[in-house]
Amino acid sequence: MSAKSPKSETPKSEPPKSETPDPEGPGIVWRRNLPVWVVLMALLALSTWAAYWPYGRIDTAIGFGIAGAKTALVALVFMQLKHASGLVRIVAACGLFWAAILFTLTLADVLSRMANR
Amino acid sequence: MSRVEIEARLREPWSELETDPGTAFARQRDGATLGIWIFLASEVLFFGALFLTYTAARLAHPEAFAAAGRETNIVYGTLNTAILLTSSLTMAVASQAAETGLFRRLTLRCLAATAALGLAFLVVKGFEYREDIEKHLVPGAHFALDRGPAQIFFAFYWLVTVVHAIHLSIGIVLVVRLTVKGWRDPDILAENPQVEVTALYWHLVDLVWVFLYPMLYLPGRSG
Repeated sequence: MSAKSPKSETPKSEPPKSETPDPEGPGIVWRRNLPVWVVLMALLALSTWAAYWPYGRIDTAIGFGIAGAKTALVALVFMQLKHASGLVRIVAACGLFWAAILFTLTLADVLSRMANR
Repeated sequence: MSRVEIEARLREPWSELETDPGTAFARQRDGATLGIWIFLASEVLFFGALFLTYTAARLAHPEAFAAAGRETNIVYGTLNTAILLTSSLTMAVASQAAETGLFRRLTLRCLAATAALGLAFLVVKGFEYREDIEKHLVPGAHFALDRGPAQIFFAFYWLVTVVHAIHLSIGIVLVVRLTVKGWRDPDILAENPQVEVTALYWHLVDLVWVFLYPMLYLPGRSG
């Protein structure tokens, strides 16, 4: 590992450190994150509305699908997985991987019992 | 950062690393990020097991879960989801602003906003709990709904929302701690890995709620 971690690469060329950052400075951070927040709010509104559609199970699928989309946005942009090192990404994927095994094996049992009842 | 500034952020002991403070600090930053992600992966499994219990019970009792889900207050639930998603925005901005080391006031304000939004969530949740108790939605002898398995839904509701509230309270304490530290010494938050670690934990607690929202508030709305 070098002294320069991948995280220390900030967008644009970093101005020299001073007490008065360049005027459009904080705007960079907002421009990167605010659009994600707008999309998250739109997804929340959509999932609330979709829950009232008269399609039964499809409503449930939409609800959880939107939760997955929100998770992807938060993880990639807010949690900066998009710019994370390979090691960090593997660890993050491991959590989901083991959870997937937990769900697959348990639901294989539960669903096959339900189908054979 | 100057050598003095870096040394203020380094965790002891680092002298065994046999390297200069700059390299040692970069390694400690990477170590902090990796460490919190390992913890978050274990949290995913902790909440994953709870969510799986819910899934199995809901598959077995779909009608009772729809009837029970209709009883939760969707206004409070949706409001709280919006509050937490917004707090993740302010937390992300605080963390990324701290990382550049340039925008001290922005970092501090966003940290304070995050803590305030976290507290707002708990206040709304408190009002919701009061309403739930008044509606006899606590499993037990005086439970309001006649369907037996609806009690499983509300047992899960109470367990998981309380566990989530405990996680959020820990997050608020951590964010307030950083805010106080940054308020006393405006330079301490710049490039400090503690901000990123706290932020990543905060986002995970938000994501847990993102999944609880369709589990607890959306079932049975169309029926």
